[in-house]
Amino acid sequence: MLLFIARRLALAVATVLAVVTIAFVLGRATGEPGALLLPDNATQADVEALNSALGFDRPLLLQYLDTLAGLVTGDFGDSYRLRESALGLVLERVPATIELAFWAFVIGLALAVVAALAIQLTGSRVLRAIVGWAGALRQSVPDFFFALLLVLAFSVLLGALPSLGRTSYASLVLPVVTLVTGQFVMYLRLLDAALSEQAGQDFVRTAIAQGQRRSTVLFTRMLPNAIVPVLGMAGLNLGGLLGGTVVVEVVFAWPGLGKLLTDAVSQRDFPIVQAGLVFVALAFVIVNTAVDVLVRRIDTRTAAA
Amino acid sequence: MTTSLTLATAPVVQRWRPRPGAIVGALMLGTVLLLTALVPLLPGYDPMGQDLRAALLPPFTDPAHPLGTDALGRDLLSRLALASAVTLGMTVLIVIMNAVLGSLVGILAGYYGGRLEALITLVSNVTLAMPVVLLLIAICAVLRPSAGLTILVLGCTWWVGYARVTRNIAAALRRQDFVVSPLTQGADSVWVLTRHIVPNVWPHTLIIAATDVATIVLITSSLEYLGLGVQPPVPSWGSMIFDGQRHLAGDPWLALLPGLMLLLAVGGVQFLSQQFTAETRGGLLRKGGMR
Repeated sequence: MLLFIARRLALAVATVLAVVTIAFVLGRATGEPGALLLPDNATQADVEALNSALGFDRPLLLQYLDTLAGLVTGDFGDSYRLRESALGLVLERVPATIELAFWAFVIGLALAVVAALAIQLTGSRVLRAIVGWAGALRQSVPDFFFALLLVLAFSVLLGALPSLGRTSYASLVLPVVTLVTGQFVMYLRLLDAALSEQAGQDFVRTAIAQGQRRSTVLFTRMLPNAIVPVLGMAGLNLGGLLGGTVVVEVVFAWPGLGKLLTDAVSQRDFPIVQAGLVFVALAFVIVNTAVDVLVRRIDTRTAAA
Repeated sequence: MTTSLTLATAPVVQRWRPRPGAIVGALMLGTVLLLTALVPLLPGYDPMGQDLRAALLPPFTDPAHPLGTDALGRDLLSRLALASAVTLGMTVLIVIMNAVLGSLVGILAGYYGGRLEALITLVSNVTLAMPVVLLLIAICAVLRPSAGLTILVLGCTWWVGYARVTRNIAAALRRQDFVVSPLTQGADSVWVLTRHIVPNVWPHTLIIAATDVATIVLITSSLEYLGLGVQPPVPSWGSMIFDGQRHLAGDPWLALLPGLMLLLAVGGVQFLSQQFTAETRGGLLRKGGMR
Protein backbone atom coordinates (compact mmCIF):
# COMPACT_ATOMS: atom_id res chain seq x y z
CA MET A 1 0.00 0.00 0.00
CA LEU A 2 2.78 2.47 0.91
CA LEU A 3 4.65 1.57 -2.25
CA PHE A 4 1.48 2.16 -4.23
CA ILE A 5 0.99 5.60 -2.69
CA ALA A 6 4.63 6.50 -3.35
CA ARG A 7 4.29 5.46 -6.99
CA ARG A 8 1.07 7.34 -7.36
CA LEU A 9 2.67 10.49 -5.89
CA ALA A 10 5.61 10.21 -8.30
CA LEU A 11 3.18 10.00 -11.19
CA ALA A 12 1.34 13.05 -9.85
CA VAL A 13 4.56 15.06 -9.69
CA ALA A 14 5.53 13.96 -13.22
CA THR A 15 2.12 15.03 -14.51
CA VAL A 16 2.28 18.46 -12.93
CA LEU A 17 5.83 18.94 -14.26
CA ALA A 18 4.66 17.96 -17.74
CA VAL A 19 1.83 20.50 -17.63
CA VAL A 20 4.14 23.25 -16.34
CA THR A 21 6.61 22.47 -19.13
CA ILE A 22 3.92 22.54 -21.81
CA ALA A 23 2.61 25.82 -20.39
CA PHE A 24 6.14 27.26 -20.42
CA VAL A 25 6.83 26.17 -24.01
CA LEU A 26 3.48 27.61 -25.10
CA GLY A 27 4.29 30.88 -23.36
CA ARG A 28 7.58 31.19 -25.24
CA ALA A 29 5.99 30.12 -28.52
CA THR A 30 3.73 33.17 -28.40
CA GLY A 31 6.81 35.35 -28.60
CA GLU A 32 7.87 38.26 -26.41
CA PRO A 33 4.95 40.27 -25.13
CA GLY A 34 6.53 43.76 -25.39
CA ALA A 35 5.29 44.54 -28.91
CA LEU A 36 1.86 43.16 -28.03
CA LEU A 37 1.35 45.24 -24.90
CA LEU A 38 2.59 48.64 -25.99
CA PRO A 39 0.70 50.92 -28.37
CA ASP A 40 1.62 50.76 -32.06
CA ASN A 41 3.69 53.96 -31.99
CA ALA A 42 6.09 52.67 -29.29
CA THR A 43 9.77 52.71 -30.23
CA GLN A 44 11.90 49.58 -30.53
CA ALA A 45 13.78 50.70 -27.41
CA ASP A 46 10.53 50.87 -25.41
CA VAL A 47 9.59 47.36 -26.50
CA GLU A 48 12.98 45.98 -25.51
CA ALA A 49 12.88 47.79 -22.19
CA LEU A 50 9.52 46.25 -21.36
CA ASN A 51 10.68 42.79 -22.44
CA SER A 52 13.68 43.01 -20.17
CA ALA A 53 11.56 44.40 -17.33
CA LEU A 54 9.35 41.30 -17.66
CA GLY A 55 12.46 39.11 -17.69
CA PHE A 56 12.28 37.93 -21.28
CA ASP A 57 15.91 38.80 -22.10
CA ARG A 58 17.32 36.22 -19.69
CA PRO A 59 18.54 32.74 -20.72
CA LEU A 60 15.68 30.29 -21.39
CA LEU A 61 16.87 27.84 -18.73
CA LEU A 62 16.73 30.56 -16.09
CA GLN A 63 13.21 31.54 -17.17
CA TYR A 64 12.15 27.89 -16.97
CA LEU A 65 13.60 27.49 -13.47
CA ASP A 66 11.79 30.67 -12.51
CA THR A 67 8.49 29.13 -13.69
CA LEU A 68 9.20 25.99 -11.66
CA ALA A 69 9.93 28.15 -8.62
CA GLY A 70 6.58 29.81 -9.22
CA LEU A 71 5.00 26.41 -8.66
CA VAL A 72 6.34 26.44 -5.08
CA THR A 73 5.91 30.12 -4.25
CA GLY A 74 2.60 30.50 -6.09
CA ASP A 75 4.00 33.45 -8.04
CA PHE A 76 3.23 33.19 -11.76
CA GLY A 77 3.85 36.85 -12.49
CA ASP A 78 1.31 39.59 -13.08
CA SER A 79 -1.36 39.59 -15.72
CA TYR A 80 -0.13 41.62 -18.71
CA ARG A 81 -3.40 43.50 -19.06
CA LEU A 82 -4.67 43.93 -15.51
CA ARG A 83 -1.29 44.28 -13.75
CA GLU A 84 -2.52 42.04 -10.95
CA SER A 85 -1.23 38.74 -9.62
CA ALA A 86 -2.21 36.07 -12.19
CA LEU A 87 -2.79 33.44 -9.52
CA GLY A 88 -5.01 35.87 -7.60
CA LEU A 89 -7.18 36.40 -10.68
CA VAL A 90 -7.41 32.63 -11.17
CA LEU A 91 -8.35 31.93 -7.55
CA GLU A 92 -11.01 34.64 -7.71
CA ARG A 93 -12.82 32.67 -10.44
CA VAL A 94 -12.44 29.20 -8.93
CA PRO A 95 -15.59 29.20 -6.72
CA ALA A 96 -17.88 29.85 -9.71
CA THR A 97 -16.41 26.90 -11.62
CA ILE A 98 -16.47 24.58 -8.61
CA GLU A 99 -20.11 25.50 -8.08
CA LEU A 100 -20.99 24.23 -11.57
CA ALA A 101 -18.77 21.15 -11.51
CA PHE A 102 -19.82 20.15 -7.97
CA TRP A 103 -23.56 20.23 -8.64
CA ALA A 104 -23.11 18.55 -12.01
CA PHE A 105 -21.18 15.71 -10.39
CA VAL A 106 -23.39 15.24 -7.31
CA ILE A 107 -26.75 15.46 -9.04
CA GLY A 108 -25.57 13.45 -12.05
CA LEU A 109 -24.22 10.62 -9.90
CA ALA A 110 -27.24 10.60 -7.57
CA LEU A 111 -29.69 10.42 -10.47
CA ALA A 112 -27.62 7.68 -12.10
CA VAL A 113 -27.68 5.58 -8.92
CA VAL A 114 -31.46 6.01 -8.60
CA ALA A 115 -32.03 5.13 -12.27
CA ALA A 116 -29.69 2.13 -12.19
CA LEU A 117 -31.39 0.79 -9.04
CA ALA A 118 -34.82 1.33 -10.58
CA ILE A 119 -33.78 -0.64 -13.66
CA GLN A 120 -32.45 -3.50 -11.50
CA LEU A 121 -35.39 -3.56 -9.07
CA THR A 122 -38.11 -3.48 -11.71
CA GLY A 123 -36.14 -5.57 -14.19
CA SER A 124 -37.92 -3.50 -16.80
CA ARG A 125 -36.54 -3.82 -20.30
CA VAL A 126 -38.66 -0.92 -21.49
CA LEU A 127 -37.20 1.40 -18.84
CA ARG A 128 -33.64 0.40 -19.75
CA ALA A 129 -34.33 0.88 -23.46
CA ILE A 130 -35.86 4.33 -22.95
CA VAL A 131 -33.02 5.53 -20.73
CA GLY A 132 -30.48 3.98 -23.09
CA TRP A 133 -31.85 5.67 -26.20
CA ALA A 134 -32.31 9.04 -24.50
CA GLY A 135 -28.77 8.80 -23.17
CA ALA A 136 -27.34 7.93 -26.58
CA LEU A 137 -29.12 10.94 -28.09
CA ARG A 138 -27.79 13.24 -25.36
CA GLN A 139 -24.27 11.98 -25.93
CA SER A 140 -24.65 12.64 -29.66
CA VAL A 141 -24.73 16.40 -29.22
CA PRO A 142 -21.91 18.44 -27.69
CA ASP A 143 -22.55 20.32 -24.44
CA PHE A 144 -22.65 23.69 -26.15
CA PHE A 145 -25.42 22.66 -28.52
CA PHE A 146 -27.50 21.01 -25.79
CA ALA A 147 -27.06 24.24 -23.82
CA LEU A 148 -28.39 26.24 -26.78
CA LEU A 149 -31.43 23.96 -27.02
CA LEU A 150 -32.13 24.59 -23.32
CA VAL A 151 -31.73 28.35 -23.83
CA LEU A 152 -34.07 28.23 -26.80
CA ALA A 153 -36.72 26.32 -24.85
CA PHE A 154 -36.52 27.91 -21.40
CA SER A 155 -35.20 31.42 -22.03
CA VAL A 156 -36.37 32.37 -25.51
CA LEU A 157 -39.68 30.51 -25.81
CA LEU A 158 -40.82 30.27 -22.16
CA GLY A 159 -38.86 33.21 -20.77
CA ALA A 160 -38.63 31.29 -17.51
CA LEU A 161 -34.88 31.16 -16.85
CA PRO A 162 -31.92 33.52 -17.40
CA SER A 163 -29.49 32.48 -20.13
CA LEU A 164 -26.47 34.64 -19.28
CA GLY A 165 -24.29 35.41 -16.29
CA ARG A 166 -24.30 34.41 -12.64
CA THR A 167 -26.86 36.57 -10.92
CA SER A 168 -29.18 34.31 -8.92
CA TYR A 169 -29.85 30.66 -8.18
CA ALA A 170 -32.05 30.59 -11.27
CA SER A 171 -29.01 31.30 -13.45
CA LEU A 172 -27.44 28.09 -12.10
CA VAL A 173 -30.20 25.92 -13.54
CA LEU A 174 -29.42 25.84 -17.27
CA PRO A 175 -25.62 25.38 -17.05
CA VAL A 176 -25.98 22.72 -14.35
CA VAL A 177 -28.69 20.84 -16.28
CA THR A 178 -26.42 20.88 -19.36
CA LEU A 179 -23.57 19.30 -17.43
CA VAL A 180 -25.73 16.98 -15.28
CA THR A 181 -27.32 15.25 -18.26
CA GLY A 182 -23.91 14.44 -19.71
CA GLN A 183 -22.62 13.12 -16.37
CA PHE A 184 -25.81 11.17 -15.71
CA VAL A 185 -25.59 9.19 -18.95
CA MET A 186 -21.98 8.25 -18.38
CA TYR A 187 -22.43 7.11 -14.78
CA LEU A 188 -25.65 5.27 -15.55
CA ARG A 189 -23.95 3.21 -18.25
CA LEU A 190 -21.07 2.28 -15.96
CA LEU A 191 -23.37 1.48 -13.02
CA ASP A 192 -25.82 -0.52 -15.09
CA ALA A 193 -23.02 -2.58 -16.61
CA ALA A 194 -21.44 -3.17 -13.18
CA LEU A 195 -24.77 -4.12 -11.54
CA SER A 196 -25.71 -6.44 -14.39
CA GLU A 197 -22.35 -8.15 -14.08
CA GLN A 198 -22.88 -8.54 -10.31
CA ALA A 199 -26.34 -10.01 -10.90
CA GLY A 200 -24.79 -13.04 -12.59
CA GLN A 201 -22.33 -13.77 -9.77
CA ASP A 202 -22.53 -16.83 -7.51
CA PHE A 203 -22.83 -14.90 -4.24
CA VAL A 204 -25.91 -13.11 -5.54
CA ARG A 205 -27.53 -16.36 -6.63
CA THR A 206 -26.69 -17.93 -3.27
CA ALA A 207 -28.11 -14.99 -1.31
CA ILE A 208 -31.34 -15.12 -3.28
CA ALA A 209 -31.52 -18.90 -2.94
CA GLN A 210 -31.23 -18.47 0.84
CA GLY A 211 -34.40 -16.42 0.70
CA GLN A 212 -33.06 -12.89 1.01
CA ARG A 213 -35.16 -10.25 -0.66
CA ARG A 214 -34.00 -9.03 -4.04
CA SER A 215 -33.85 -5.43 -2.85
CA THR A 216 -31.77 -6.42 0.22
CA VAL A 217 -29.28 -8.25 -1.97
CA LEU A 218 -29.16 -5.29 -4.34
CA PHE A 219 -28.50 -2.70 -1.64
CA THR A 220 -26.18 -4.64 0.66
CA ARG A 221 -24.26 -6.86 -1.75
CA MET A 222 -24.37 -5.63 -5.32
CA LEU A 223 -24.37 -1.83 -4.98
CA PRO A 224 -21.22 -1.53 -2.81
CA ASN A 225 -19.30 -3.63 -5.34
CA ALA A 226 -20.65 -1.76 -8.33
CA ILE A 227 -20.07 1.76 -7.03
CA VAL A 228 -16.31 1.40 -6.52
CA PRO A 229 -15.24 1.25 -10.20
CA VAL A 230 -17.67 4.10 -10.91
CA LEU A 231 -15.91 6.24 -8.30
CA GLY A 232 -12.56 5.44 -9.89
CA MET A 233 -13.95 6.46 -13.25
CA ALA A 234 -15.36 9.64 -11.73
CA GLY A 235 -11.88 10.72 -10.65
CA LEU A 236 -10.50 10.20 -14.14
CA ASN A 237 -13.52 11.91 -15.61
CA LEU A 238 -12.83 15.11 -13.70
CA GLY A 239 -10.71 16.27 -16.64
CA GLY A 240 -13.61 15.75 -19.02
CA LEU A 241 -15.93 17.55 -16.63
CA LEU A 242 -13.55 20.51 -16.41
CA GLY A 243 -13.16 20.58 -20.19
CA GLY A 244 -16.93 20.50 -20.57
CA THR A 245 -17.31 23.23 -17.95
CA VAL A 246 -15.01 25.50 -19.97
CA VAL A 247 -17.27 25.37 -23.02
CA VAL A 248 -20.47 25.62 -20.98
CA GLU A 249 -19.09 28.68 -19.17
CA VAL A 250 -18.48 30.34 -22.52
CA VAL A 251 -22.05 29.61 -23.70
CA PHE A 252 -23.65 31.03 -20.56
CA ALA A 253 -21.07 33.81 -19.97
CA TRP A 254 -20.50 32.18 -16.55
CA PRO A 255 -17.70 34.06 -14.77
CA GLY A 256 -15.61 31.01 -13.97
CA LEU A 257 -12.15 29.67 -14.64
CA GLY A 258 -12.97 28.49 -18.16
CA LYS A 259 -14.25 31.89 -19.22
CA LEU A 260 -11.18 33.55 -17.70
CA LEU A 261 -8.82 31.15 -19.48
CA THR A 262 -10.46 31.39 -22.91
CA ASP A 263 -10.54 35.19 -22.62
CA ALA A 264 -6.89 35.27 -21.50
CA VAL A 265 -5.93 33.00 -24.39
CA SER A 266 -7.55 35.26 -26.96
CA GLN A 267 -5.89 38.33 -25.38
CA ARG A 268 -2.52 36.50 -25.21
CA ASP A 269 -2.36 37.28 -21.49
CA PHE A 270 -0.03 34.44 -20.83
CA PRO A 271 0.61 34.60 -17.07
CA ILE A 272 -3.10 33.95 -16.51
CA VAL A 273 -3.13 30.99 -18.92
CA GLN A 274 -0.07 29.57 -17.20
CA ALA A 275 -1.41 30.03 -13.69
CA GLY A 276 -4.79 28.64 -14.71
CA LEU A 277 -3.41 25.56 -16.44
CA VAL A 278 -1.13 24.77 -13.53
CA PHE A 279 -3.92 25.27 -11.02
CA VAL A 280 -6.28 22.97 -12.93
CA ALA A 281 -3.57 20.35 -13.36
CA LEU A 282 -2.80 20.45 -9.63
CA ALA A 283 -6.46 20.16 -8.64
CA PHE A 284 -6.98 17.39 -11.15
CA VAL A 285 -3.93 15.41 -10.07
CA ILE A 286 -4.75 15.75 -6.36
CA VAL A 287 -8.31 14.50 -6.84
CA ASN A 288 -7.18 11.69 -9.11
CA THR A 289 -4.51 10.51 -6.67
CA ALA A 290 -6.89 10.71 -3.73
CA VAL A 291 -9.59 8.75 -5.57
CA ASP A 292 -7.10 6.09 -6.68
CA VAL A 293 -5.82 5.58 -3.15
CA LEU A 294 -9.37 5.59 -1.78
CA VAL A 295 -10.60 3.03 -4.31
CA ARG A 296 -7.66 0.78 -3.50
CA ARG A 297 -8.36 1.14 0.21
CA ILE A 298 -12.06 0.26 -0.20
CA ASP A 299 -11.77 -2.42 -2.85
CA THR A 300 -9.85 -5.33 -1.41
CA ARG A 301 -9.74 -7.02 -4.79
CA THR A 302 -7.40 -4.41 -6.29
CA ALA A 303 -5.25 -4.37 -3.17
CA ALA A 304 -4.60 -8.08 -3.51
CA ALA A 305 -3.70 -7.81 -7.19
CA MET B 1 -29.80 -32.97 -47.73
CA THR B 2 -32.12 -30.07 -47.03
CA THR B 3 -31.74 -30.40 -43.27
CA SER B 4 -27.97 -30.18 -43.36
CA LEU B 5 -28.26 -27.08 -45.50
CA THR B 6 -30.56 -25.40 -42.98
CA LEU B 7 -28.22 -26.33 -40.16
CA ALA B 8 -25.28 -24.81 -41.97
CA THR B 9 -26.92 -21.50 -42.84
CA ALA B 10 -29.09 -20.80 -39.80
CA PRO B 11 -26.40 -19.53 -37.42
CA VAL B 12 -24.91 -17.30 -40.10
CA VAL B 13 -28.25 -15.62 -40.81
CA GLN B 14 -28.80 -15.08 -37.10
CA ARG B 15 -25.37 -13.62 -36.55
CA TRP B 16 -25.78 -11.02 -39.25
CA ARG B 17 -29.15 -9.73 -38.12
CA PRO B 18 -28.44 -6.06 -37.24
CA ARG B 19 -29.68 -4.56 -33.99
CA PRO B 20 -32.35 -1.84 -34.33
CA GLY B 21 -29.78 0.71 -33.21
CA ALA B 22 -27.50 -0.19 -36.09
CA ILE B 23 -30.23 0.41 -38.67
CA VAL B 24 -31.07 3.79 -37.14
CA GLY B 25 -27.37 4.61 -36.99
CA ALA B 26 -26.81 3.70 -40.63
CA LEU B 27 -29.78 5.87 -41.67
CA MET B 28 -28.52 8.83 -39.61
CA LEU B 29 -24.95 8.66 -40.86
CA GLY B 30 -26.16 7.90 -44.40
CA THR B 31 -28.20 11.11 -44.46
CA VAL B 32 -25.15 13.19 -43.59
CA LEU B 33 -22.89 11.40 -46.08
CA LEU B 34 -25.47 11.68 -48.89
CA LEU B 35 -25.91 15.40 -48.22
CA THR B 36 -22.16 15.94 -48.15
CA ALA B 37 -21.66 14.09 -51.42
CA LEU B 38 -24.70 15.22 -53.41
CA VAL B 39 -25.24 18.89 -52.53
CA PRO B 40 -22.02 20.10 -54.28
CA LEU B 41 -23.42 18.58 -57.49
CA LEU B 42 -26.57 20.73 -57.36
CA PRO B 43 -26.70 23.74 -59.71
CA GLY B 44 -27.18 26.33 -56.93
CA TYR B 45 -24.19 25.17 -54.84
CA ASP B 46 -22.36 28.25 -53.52
CA PRO B 47 -21.19 28.15 -49.87
CA MET B 48 -19.28 31.48 -50.00
CA GLY B 49 -21.29 33.85 -52.20
CA GLN B 50 -22.94 36.65 -50.18
CA ASP B 51 -26.21 38.33 -51.06
CA LEU B 52 -27.20 40.83 -48.39
CA ARG B 53 -30.58 41.49 -50.02
CA ALA B 54 -31.49 37.84 -49.40
CA ALA B 55 -30.13 37.63 -45.82
CA LEU B 56 -31.81 35.55 -43.10
CA LEU B 57 -34.32 33.81 -45.37
CA PRO B 58 -36.20 31.09 -43.47
CA PRO B 59 -36.03 27.49 -44.73
CA PHE B 60 -38.46 26.28 -47.43
CA THR B 61 -39.42 29.77 -48.68
CA ASP B 62 -37.09 30.46 -51.61
CA PRO B 63 -36.46 27.67 -54.15
CA ALA B 64 -32.99 29.12 -54.80
CA HIS B 65 -32.11 28.60 -51.11
CA PRO B 66 -33.97 25.45 -49.95
CA LEU B 67 -32.80 25.73 -46.32
CA GLY B 68 -32.67 29.53 -46.23
CA THR B 69 -29.69 31.86 -45.83
CA ASP B 70 -27.49 33.16 -43.00
CA ALA B 71 -26.96 36.76 -41.85
CA LEU B 72 -24.73 37.47 -44.85
CA GLY B 73 -27.17 35.92 -47.32
CA ARG B 74 -25.07 32.81 -47.91
CA ASP B 75 -26.89 29.64 -48.91
CA LEU B 76 -27.34 27.49 -45.81
CA LEU B 77 -27.66 24.12 -47.57
CA SER B 78 -24.37 24.68 -49.41
CA ARG B 79 -22.62 25.77 -46.23
CA LEU B 80 -23.94 22.77 -44.30
CA ALA B 81 -22.62 20.42 -46.98
CA LEU B 82 -19.19 22.07 -47.05
CA ALA B 83 -19.06 22.11 -43.23
CA SER B 84 -19.84 18.36 -43.17
CA ALA B 85 -17.07 17.67 -45.64
CA VAL B 86 -14.62 19.76 -43.60
CA THR B 87 -15.52 18.30 -40.20
CA LEU B 88 -15.74 14.69 -41.38
CA GLY B 89 -12.50 15.01 -43.35
CA MET B 90 -10.66 16.43 -40.34
CA THR B 91 -12.10 13.73 -38.09
CA VAL B 92 -11.06 10.87 -40.35
CA LEU B 93 -7.53 12.26 -40.62
CA ILE B 94 -7.26 12.74 -36.85
CA VAL B 95 -8.58 9.25 -36.08
CA ILE B 96 -6.25 7.61 -38.60
CA MET B 97 -3.23 9.50 -37.22
CA ASN B 98 -4.04 8.48 -33.65
CA ALA B 99 -4.83 4.88 -34.56
CA VAL B 100 -1.56 4.43 -36.46
CA LEU B 101 0.56 6.25 -33.88
CA GLY B 102 -1.07 4.60 -30.86
CA SER B 103 -1.00 1.09 -32.32
CA LEU B 104 2.62 1.46 -33.39
CA VAL B 105 3.63 2.64 -29.93
CA GLY B 106 1.54 -0.07 -28.25
CA ILE B 107 2.82 -2.91 -30.44
CA LEU B 108 6.46 -1.91 -29.96
CA ALA B 109 5.97 -1.55 -26.19
CA GLY B 110 4.18 -4.89 -25.88
CA TYR B 111 6.58 -6.75 -28.15
CA TYR B 112 9.89 -5.47 -26.83
CA GLY B 113 8.84 -4.80 -23.22
CA GLY B 114 11.50 -3.62 -20.79
CA ARG B 115 12.51 0.03 -20.59
CA LEU B 116 10.60 1.04 -23.71
CA GLU B 117 7.40 -0.32 -22.20
CA ALA B 118 8.06 1.43 -18.89
CA LEU B 119 8.62 4.74 -20.67
CA ILE B 120 5.49 4.39 -22.77
CA THR B 121 3.42 3.43 -19.73
CA LEU B 122 4.68 6.53 -17.94
CA VAL B 123 3.88 8.80 -20.88
CA SER B 124 0.40 7.36 -21.28
CA ASN B 125 -0.31 7.57 -17.54
CA VAL B 126 0.77 11.21 -17.48
CA THR B 127 -1.38 11.95 -20.54
CA LEU B 128 -4.37 10.23 -18.94
CA ALA B 129 -3.93 12.32 -15.80
CA MET B 130 -3.90 15.65 -17.64
CA PRO B 131 -6.83 17.91 -18.39
CA VAL B 132 -6.35 17.20 -22.10
CA VAL B 133 -9.23 19.24 -23.49
CA LEU B 134 -8.08 22.32 -21.59
CA LEU B 135 -4.53 21.90 -22.87
CA LEU B 136 -5.80 21.48 -26.43
CA ILE B 137 -7.71 24.76 -26.11
CA ALA B 138 -4.56 26.50 -24.89
CA ILE B 139 -2.32 25.00 -27.57
CA CYS B 140 -4.70 25.72 -30.45
CA ALA B 141 -5.29 29.26 -29.27
CA VAL B 142 -1.67 30.18 -28.58
CA LEU B 143 -0.32 28.93 -31.91
CA ARG B 144 -2.72 30.83 -34.22
CA PRO B 145 -5.74 28.58 -34.73
CA SER B 146 -6.14 26.80 -38.08
CA ALA B 147 -7.56 23.54 -39.37
CA GLY B 148 -4.07 22.13 -39.88
CA LEU B 149 -3.05 22.90 -36.31
CA THR B 150 -6.17 21.24 -34.88
CA ILE B 151 -5.49 18.13 -36.96
CA LEU B 152 -1.85 18.07 -35.90
CA VAL B 153 -2.52 18.64 -32.19
CA LEU B 154 -5.48 16.29 -31.83
CA GLY B 155 -3.86 13.77 -34.18
CA CYS B 156 -0.83 13.47 -31.92
CA THR B 157 -2.47 13.51 -28.50
CA TRP B 158 -5.46 11.13 -28.52
CA TRP B 159 -3.57 7.85 -28.98
CA VAL B 160 -3.28 6.56 -25.41
CA GLY B 161 -6.38 4.36 -25.71
CA TYR B 162 -4.95 2.60 -28.77
CA ALA B 163 -1.53 2.18 -27.18
CA ARG B 164 -2.95 0.61 -24.01
CA VAL B 165 -5.08 -1.97 -25.78
CA THR B 166 -2.56 -2.90 -28.46
CA ARG B 167 0.25 -3.17 -25.91
CA ASN B 168 -1.71 -5.74 -23.92
CA ILE B 169 -2.52 -7.76 -27.04
CA ALA B 170 1.03 -7.59 -28.40
CA ALA B 171 2.45 -8.65 -25.03
CA ALA B 172 0.09 -11.64 -24.95
CA LEU B 173 0.91 -12.60 -28.54
CA ARG B 174 4.65 -12.37 -27.79
CA ARG B 175 4.37 -15.55 -25.70
CA GLN B 176 2.32 -17.53 -28.24
CA ASP B 177 3.87 -20.49 -30.03
CA PHE B 178 3.37 -19.06 -33.48
CA VAL B 179 5.46 -16.04 -32.53
CA VAL B 180 8.14 -17.78 -30.48
CA SER B 181 8.64 -20.59 -32.98
CA PRO B 182 9.73 -18.51 -36.02
CA LEU B 183 12.00 -16.48 -33.75
CA THR B 184 13.82 -19.62 -32.59
CA GLN B 185 14.19 -20.64 -36.21
CA GLY B 186 15.98 -17.43 -37.07
CA ALA B 187 13.21 -15.11 -38.26
CA ASP B 188 13.90 -11.47 -37.49
CA SER B 189 11.57 -9.27 -35.45
CA VAL B 190 10.39 -7.18 -38.39
CA TRP B 191 9.13 -10.32 -40.13
CA VAL B 192 7.36 -11.56 -37.02
CA LEU B 193 5.85 -8.16 -36.29
CA THR B 194 4.46 -7.65 -39.80
CA ARG B 195 3.43 -11.26 -40.35
CA HIS B 196 2.07 -12.33 -36.96
CA ILE B 197 1.58 -9.41 -34.62
CA VAL B 198 0.05 -6.65 -36.78
CA PRO B 199 -2.61 -8.86 -38.45
CA ASN B 200 -3.83 -9.92 -35.00
CA VAL B 201 -3.80 -6.43 -33.53
CA TRP B 202 -5.40 -4.26 -36.19
CA PRO B 203 -9.01 -5.47 -35.76
CA HIS B 204 -8.85 -4.20 -32.17
CA THR B 205 -7.47 -0.88 -33.41
CA LEU B 206 -10.39 -0.64 -35.79
CA ILE B 207 -12.91 -1.13 -32.97
CA ILE B 208 -11.40 1.66 -30.88
CA ALA B 209 -11.24 3.89 -33.95
CA ALA B 210 -14.95 3.34 -34.66
CA THR B 211 -15.95 4.51 -31.18
CA ASP B 212 -13.37 7.31 -31.27
CA VAL B 213 -14.87 8.93 -34.37
CA ALA B 214 -17.83 10.22 -32.33
CA THR B 215 -15.56 11.59 -29.58
CA ILE B 216 -13.31 13.37 -32.06
CA VAL B 217 -16.25 14.99 -33.89
CA LEU B 218 -17.52 16.29 -30.54
CA ILE B 219 -14.11 17.66 -29.52
CA THR B 220 -13.32 19.32 -32.86
CA SER B 221 -16.73 20.98 -32.99
CA SER B 222 -16.30 22.22 -29.42
CA LEU B 223 -12.95 23.73 -30.42
CA GLU B 224 -14.57 25.24 -33.52
CA TYR B 225 -17.37 26.67 -31.38
CA LEU B 226 -14.65 28.47 -29.39
CA GLY B 227 -13.20 29.82 -32.65
CA LEU B 228 -10.25 27.39 -32.65
CA GLY B 229 -10.05 25.34 -35.83
CA VAL B 230 -11.26 26.04 -39.34
CA GLN B 231 -11.20 29.79 -39.88
CA PRO B 232 -13.91 31.83 -41.65
CA PRO B 233 -15.15 32.09 -44.33
CA VAL B 234 -14.85 28.28 -44.49
CA PRO B 235 -17.77 26.93 -42.43
CA SER B 236 -17.74 24.19 -39.80
CA TRP B 237 -20.62 22.87 -37.70
CA GLY B 238 -19.20 24.38 -34.51
CA SER B 239 -18.61 27.85 -35.94
CA MET B 240 -22.01 27.85 -37.70
CA ILE B 241 -23.70 27.12 -34.36
CA PHE B 242 -21.69 29.92 -32.75
CA ASP B 243 -22.74 32.36 -35.48
CA GLY B 244 -26.35 31.21 -35.27
CA GLN B 245 -26.44 31.70 -31.50
CA ARG B 246 -26.78 35.47 -32.00
CA HIS B 247 -29.98 34.96 -33.98
CA LEU B 248 -31.45 32.37 -31.61
CA ALA B 249 -34.52 34.44 -30.75
CA GLY B 250 -35.62 35.38 -34.27
CA ASP B 251 -34.02 32.81 -36.58
CA PRO B 252 -33.27 29.72 -34.51
CA TRP B 253 -32.78 27.43 -37.54
CA LEU B 254 -29.33 29.01 -38.12
CA ALA B 255 -28.08 27.20 -35.02
CA LEU B 256 -30.50 24.27 -35.13
CA LEU B 257 -29.63 22.98 -38.62
CA PRO B 258 -25.85 22.56 -38.07
CA GLY B 259 -26.70 21.08 -34.64
CA LEU B 260 -28.99 18.57 -36.33
CA MET B 261 -26.17 17.55 -38.68
CA LEU B 262 -23.89 17.09 -35.67
CA LEU B 263 -26.56 14.96 -33.97
CA LEU B 264 -27.06 12.81 -37.07
CA ALA B 265 -23.33 12.28 -37.62
CA VAL B 266 -22.31 11.59 -34.01
CA GLY B 267 -25.46 9.62 -33.19
CA GLY B 268 -25.11 7.58 -36.36
CA VAL B 269 -21.51 6.70 -35.59
CA GLN B 270 -22.36 5.83 -31.98
CA PHE B 271 -25.29 3.56 -32.80
CA LEU B 272 -23.27 1.84 -35.53
CA SER B 273 -20.19 1.34 -33.39
CA GLN B 274 -22.34 -0.13 -30.59
CA GLN B 275 -23.33 -2.87 -33.02
CA PHE B 276 -19.66 -3.28 -33.78
CA THR B 277 -18.59 -3.58 -30.15
CA ALA B 278 -21.57 -5.76 -29.21
CA GLU B 279 -20.30 -8.40 -31.61
CA THR B 280 -16.84 -8.29 -30.11
CA ARG B 281 -18.13 -8.15 -26.52
CA GLY B 282 -17.16 -5.62 -23.93
CA GLY B 283 -14.66 -3.43 -25.77
CA LEU B 284 -16.55 -0.24 -25.05
CA LEU B 285 -16.96 -0.99 -21.36
CA ARG B 286 -13.32 -1.69 -20.79
CA LYS B 287 -12.30 1.51 -22.50
CA GLY B 288 -14.59 3.54 -20.24
CA GLY B 289 -15.79 7.07 -20.90
CA MET B 290 -14.25 10.22 -22.23
CA ARG B 291 -11.13 11.63 -20.72
